[in-house]
Amino acid sequence: MMRSPWLVALLCAGASLVHPLFGQDDLMGFFDEPTGPQLVTSVFKAGRIINVQSPETSGKGEMNFIIAHRFGRISDGWYDLFGLDNAQMRMGLDYGITDQLQVGIARSGFGKTLEANAKWRFVEQQMGGGSPVSLTAYSVLMRDGLRFPVDGLERKGVHRLSFVNQVVVARKCSPDVSVALIPSLVHRNLVDRADRANDVATLGAGFRYKLNNRLSVNGEYHYLLPRPIEDDYVNSLSLGLDIETGGHVFQLHITNSRGMFERAFLSETSSSWQDGDLYFGFNINRVFQVGQRR
Amino acid sequence: MSYRAFLFFLVMGCGFGAKAQQFATRSAHIAFLSETPLEDIQAESHEASSIFDAATGQIAFQVPILSFHFPKALMEEHFNENYMESEQFPKASFRGTVSGLDTGAQGEQEVTAKGVLEMHGVALEREVKGTMTRSETGWSIVAAFSVPCTDHDIDIPKVVSENIAEIIEVTLSANLEPR
Repeated sequence: MMRSPWLVALLCAGASLVHPLFGQDDLMGFFDEPTGPQLVTSVFKAGRIINVQSPETSGKGEMNFIIAHRFGRISDGWYDLFGLDNAQMRMGLDYGITDQLQVGIARSGFGKTLEANAKWRFVEQQMGGGSPVSLTAYSVLMRDGLRFPVDGLERKGVHRLSFVNQVVVARKCSPDVSVALIPSLVHRNLVDRADRANDVATLGAGFRYKLNNRLSVNGEYHYLLPRPIEDDYVNSLSLGLDIETGGHVFQLHITNSRGMFERAFLSETSSSWQDGDLYFGFNINRVFQVGQRR
Repeated sequence: MSYRAFLFFLVMGCGFGAKAQQFATRSAHIAFLSETPLEDIQAESHEASSIFDAATGQIAFQVPILSFHFPKALMEEHFNENYMESEQFPKASFRGTVSGLDTGAQGEQEVTAKGVLEMHGVALEREVKGTMTRSETGWSIVAAFSVPCTDHDIDIPKVVSENIAEIIEVTLSANLEPR
């Protein structure tokens, strides 16, 4: 027991040395305690991957003006300046009612089509618990505005309408890579030919790969599921580049779909990549904050 | 043997004693302002954590970058995606020691905290001035400091340099309760 006073002294010295460290560890420990799942944001840059909807919606009180062009066939060559002489245009306005719910209207020159749409991200992707994917429902009503052909058949206003409903299942896998799976249902009240089905289903996939904070490569593909009546339409494939400049997002792309609303590019794409029938196009997204966010 | 056991508990007791001197919160308020002739950009978070050890004077703050909210959704996106790269650097923190504080005194006291400010992956030695006030049960802390973006490798491109200030003013207020 001769050593015990030394032992006490040693322990006391040890305790006083350890003491501040003890405190430090406790301070760190306080921050290490889990504080619940974190929202995953900015899965894609714009409201559309290229043609199809991304999980992104306008923020609350945000008005997004989208002006999009699809030029003519690149294969038309010099005579049409590789399609640049013939542009189809779509102008759209999207408004965020909440950070998750958006409504929009749009007009396309293609088929003189008027659109009303709604988009709702009803499940958010979260880190550290919560859902591994986000789920976004998109529903669009399209009204064809072309004059009815004079062919003796009686048509009504309701025959101009078509609908698309889809769900975007999206996941940001890493800060650079985002993917999406998009099943869609297309319904046409009236088809233009007897050998075409009123209802068509597609299964789509899209991705984004960030090259840097302001530039990304995007792609999307929509597979036409077997239809009751086989038509001559083909799957839609688009590749593009997103460029963000601050207030604008520019999206440049090459696609085999010329229409810029869902029914057209999902179920009525007739040009094929194999034949080189491709269209160059762009979307410009410009955001205005018109309402209060908080 | 029981003597040693007694010593062991004595030492452990010291540890628990220190804990009673700790004050903390998970709802501290941090706001910042970027002021330019063209545009004032403000954001705030109510989700900052803070802990203060009155026995040692150690103090620490931490805030999730994603918890900062802006009046415009687009600003928030740009803040997280382009400037703070919040997925790569999800938190900003300050760890340091308070000097000039009399823990027994009442009323507002001017204090200085010296430590390391880390954000956007860059840790810098900083001295931050503020005030600490003993409340009935805990401490209330108020501080303000400025952060030059370049100090933390936050790159502001030329196109938006007129809209975003080079030096960001940060204010902080926290009510810490015994832990």
